[in-house]
Amino acid sequence: MSTASMSIRPAKPRSYSKWFVNALTIVLCILWAIPILWAIVVSLRPRSDALGRGDIWFGQYLTTESYQIVNELAPFFPRIEDGRLTGSYYQNTLQYVLTTLGVQLITIPLAAFAFVHFEFPGKKILFYLILSQMMIPTASLLVPNFVTIREMGLYDTTLAIAIPYFGSAFGTFLMRQAFLEVPRELVEAGQIDGCRWYHLLWHVYLPPSRPTLIAFGLVSVSFHWNSLLWPLVVTSDNARPLTMGLLRFTQLTDIGAQWSLIMAATLIIVAPLLLIFLVFQRQFIQSFMHSGIK
Amino acid sequence: MKNRRLIIVFVTFALLLTLGVVQAQDATVVQIFFPIAVDSPVTEILNGYAEAYEAEHSGVDIQWSFEGGYADVKNRLLTVKEGGGDLPALAIMLATDIYDLVNAEAVQSWDAFASDEYLADFTPTWLSNSYYDYDGDGTGELYGLPFQRSTVLLYYNADLLDEAGLSVPANWDELASAAQALTTDAREGILIPNSWPYWVFQPFAAGAGQNIVSESDVDVFFDNEGVISALQYWVDLYQVYGATPDGVQDNWGDAPGLFADGAAAMIVHSSGSLRSILSNADFTVGVSGVPGKDGGSYTVTGGGNLYLVAGIDDATAQAAWDFVQWLTEPAQTVDWSIQTGYYNTRDSGFELDAWKEYAEANPQVDESRAMLDSAVREFSVQSLGDVRNVLHTQILAVLNGETDPAAAMAAAQEGADAILAIFK
Amino acid sequence: MAAHPWTPRWRGKRVSPLPYLLILPTLAFVVLFTIYPTFQVIRSSQVYYHPNRPDRTRESDLNLPGVAVESRSIRGPHDVGLAYFRAMFDPTTEEGTIFFRVLGNTLVYAAVTVSASMALAFLFAMLVNRAAKWIGLARIALFYPTMLPMVSAATIWLFFFTPDYGLFNSALQVFGYTGPQNWVINKDLALGSLMIVAIWKDAGYLMIFYLAGMQNLPSEIYEAADLDGASWWVKTIRITLPLLRRTTLFVSVVAIISAFQNIDHALVLTYQLVSGEADLLLYEIYKQRFVLQNYGFANALTVVMILLLLVFTLSNFFLSERSTEARA
Repeated sequence: MSTASMSIRPAKPRSYSKWFVNALTIVLCILWAIPILWAIVVSLRPRSDALGRGDIWFGQYLTTESYQIVNELAPFFPRIEDGRLTGSYYQNTLQYVLTTLGVQLITIPLAAFAFVHFEFPGKKILFYLILSQMMIPTASLLVPNFVTIREMGLYDTTLAIAIPYFGSAFGTFLMRQAFLEVPRELVEAGQIDGCRWYHLLWHVYLPPSRPTLIAFGLVSVSFHWNSLLWPLVVTSDNARPLTMGLLRFTQLTDIGAQWSLIMAATLIIVAPLLLIFLVFQRQFIQSFMHSGIK
Repeated sequence: MKNRRLIIVFVTFALLLTLGVVQAQDATVVQIFFPIAVDSPVTEILNGYAEAYEAEHSGVDIQWSFEGGYADVKNRLLTVKEGGGDLPALAIMLATDIYDLVNAEAVQSWDAFASDEYLADFTPTWLSNSYYDYDGDGTGELYGLPFQRSTVLLYYNADLLDEAGLSVPANWDELASAAQALTTDAREGILIPNSWPYWVFQPFAAGAGQNIVSESDVDVFFDNEGVISALQYWVDLYQVYGATPDGVQDNWGDAPGLFADGAAAMIVHSSGSLRSILSNADFTVGVSGVPGKDGGSYTVTGGGNLYLVAGIDDATAQAAWDFVQWLTEPAQTVDWSIQTGYYNTRDSGFELDAWKEYAEANPQVDESRAMLDSAVREFSVQSLGDVRNVLHTQILAVLNGETDPAAAMAAAQEGADAILAIFK
Repeated sequence: MAAHPWTPRWRGKRVSPLPYLLILPTLAFVVLFTIYPTFQVIRSSQVYYHPNRPDRTRESDLNLPGVAVESRSIRGPHDVGLAYFRAMFDPTTEEGTIFFRVLGNTLVYAAVTVSASMALAFLFAMLVNRAAKWIGLARIALFYPTMLPMVSAATIWLFFFTPDYGLFNSALQVFGYTGPQNWVINKDLALGSLMIVAIWKDAGYLMIFYLAGMQNLPSEIYEAADLDGASWWVKTIRITLPLLRRTTLFVSVVAIISAFQNIDHALVLTYQLVSGEADLLLYEIYKQRFVLQNYGFANALTVVMILLLLVFTLSNFFLSERSTEARA
């Protein structure tokens, strides 16, 4: 089993080139981080201060006015009206992201377990049938899927955004890879102890595969958190997620780009994900490292 | 243990979902799809209108549904229609999308509701993209009622013109030499955001004697001499005068800011930017139409109309019309104009005290209003997307230096005629 | 293969319903929201339908090869069989011109973004796969683009591509670049701008998979190589890369799918490039379906895209499955 510490196993650079590796890492990191740094700086720029030649970072002073305006123009956060909380983009996004994840955490291990643990007619075909979900672009299926949502009576609910992803090909594939790594002896031992299939899944297959499940969960959350086209089609007013709020600010066609507003909206949307990643970075990457993906 | 937690999480969210289901309502619901295209608190203003209206009229529930842009509203309406979803009663969509929308039978005519008397008070130019003879009986039916309307304006930095001893440009030569004179290392003489060119191009073409469209839905006038000379003028502005950035300018979003910042002496832009420019500029902002080749002042209409959605029941249609009638009363159109910067579309609105006060404080709005007489019809024909692509491709090829205006416009004409042939 | 005692046998023997029941929840949703609509798309690809045209009858061949001249509505719907597919593979037709252009763009785009982001991902993984106090921060800096909505990312980059003072152009000028600056609306550069954004966004995501793969490499081999005095470079090429072959296969599948399926950035960056020189396959589908309302053509393009992805990814899966079996 893998160790918990981050080791320097492969391709350890020699000391004379260490400074080069460090320098390269730092340069690349700075290059990659410039967009988000710029976004943060510009979101704090006064709106009246137009970006121009040689003047694209800090404005005359720092202000949070863009955040206030953005929140006034779009209901990102709940407000109290008549003693009750109003609906908000955050609530909607949290609802469908967590619903999706909750269901996936049940469907995925079951399916992956079936594909790893059993031999049955049609196994390969069924597996590839499920994998087809990874290959077929959802954007091209918007209209037929919208009709399905209508017929199910789910239009403009957060469930409508979530339900097509209740089965996940990517998750099933990852989980299957992880289960394949589970040592046969453990399974056989469990078998001899008279474990039923759910005991095997729960006590033998799942524990070593937990990192994969966590890794998948994080990918799933970040993917659905940012989804755009599908929610646009199946929601109206009650179930609009965060990304719809962003759309309001990227399309201010008549008055020109409001960079500070767009960046403030962007940061409002991604802040929770970035913060969570910032705090759990180590656990997250370790989950991936120990997830058996290889 | 973990299992239990998982189940609790799932059940909790399942419950949350059920609670989220909306309760049915007794009032007639008038839902309106609306694009958000300005940064003024449009949602607040519109919700205010809804509340004011509901207070006067019981039994009606006005529900604004805010979308991203015009394209999103149109796509959403067509998707909902195709999928058999709950249709809104009204939608604000581009005036130029009239043919696509009517052909798709997504919208219905206002003819059953709007009287001639009611229509007479709208400034006529706003109705130039409102009629379409879909049933083929020889007279056009009314589909779009003006609401969120704008035009193309020439914004100029009056202080800079004064300092240079220049008068407001009255024709192409004056415009070019003024732009040239005001160009410095740190400042462009004029910016014409032309990466999506047809709209800002139309006043120039009209100013040379020929708009690119007529009243017809199947004719375009691309290879006209005047249109070609307008395109040549764009090229001359940078090739001969060096008064504007070379080639294609992809600066629609940035131009108002640059102008207000003093980094451009003049810009050609939407009237919708007037408010933000006025509030950000620390110099005297002048507005006019785009000068014609040999004088005169030209502009083109733009923006969105109120469409009545097809396939809604009669009671909803009636309720929608009642609301629209109220919404387009001069008191509301003037308030809307003052709060957002869009045009007041009703002639009698200009007589209201609210407008007079506003115009006194902001003389530019009267100037922009004065140009409406010379506003030409915005580019709209059958298969607009395809025909517009043909025109844009050729204009950009010229700006990229790949072909000359005469050849480009001849090719555009040929391409457009081929597309439009099946409609004739 | 050894018969495990718990394995229900088939081919003439008892078949347990259990594995099917376990797969059912996943399969049901996949069938309902992927397989079933796909068949609808296949069916619709044989129908001429232009809902943005008036329902007027004309003597017309609908401008499609193999469709007879007949008096019929210019709106449709009309069954035209495989006419759209014939037109797409005939470069003299409008559909053919568009198809070959977007196919070329998509293949170039996929080839460049997939190889570049995979190479960068591998490099990043090598660089941050070590223990140092600041390495966590470095990983965040490289990985965070994955978590940005594509629309936000593209909007930020839209500003960077601004001519003259946009950061990207300023940086290029420092290096002596004097070429055209209107990246997103220049037909030679627009595709490049899409690729830059995609590579920037995907490299960190793919890095994670390489990091995971590197964690499982056997250290003995490296120790042996060190004894032989192998250089860092030699170890990377001779040991690390070959051992990560399966990771690379997996990552390439993820990268190819992402290259074909993500067009949110095109909606922000290059939608203004009206002549369509930088259109990608999925973007063209969106444009034909929602902007130009040419339903039949959009559906035919979708079918071809699905086939392309099937070929790419299935061949990759077969390769990776074979290598698994070979190892077992």
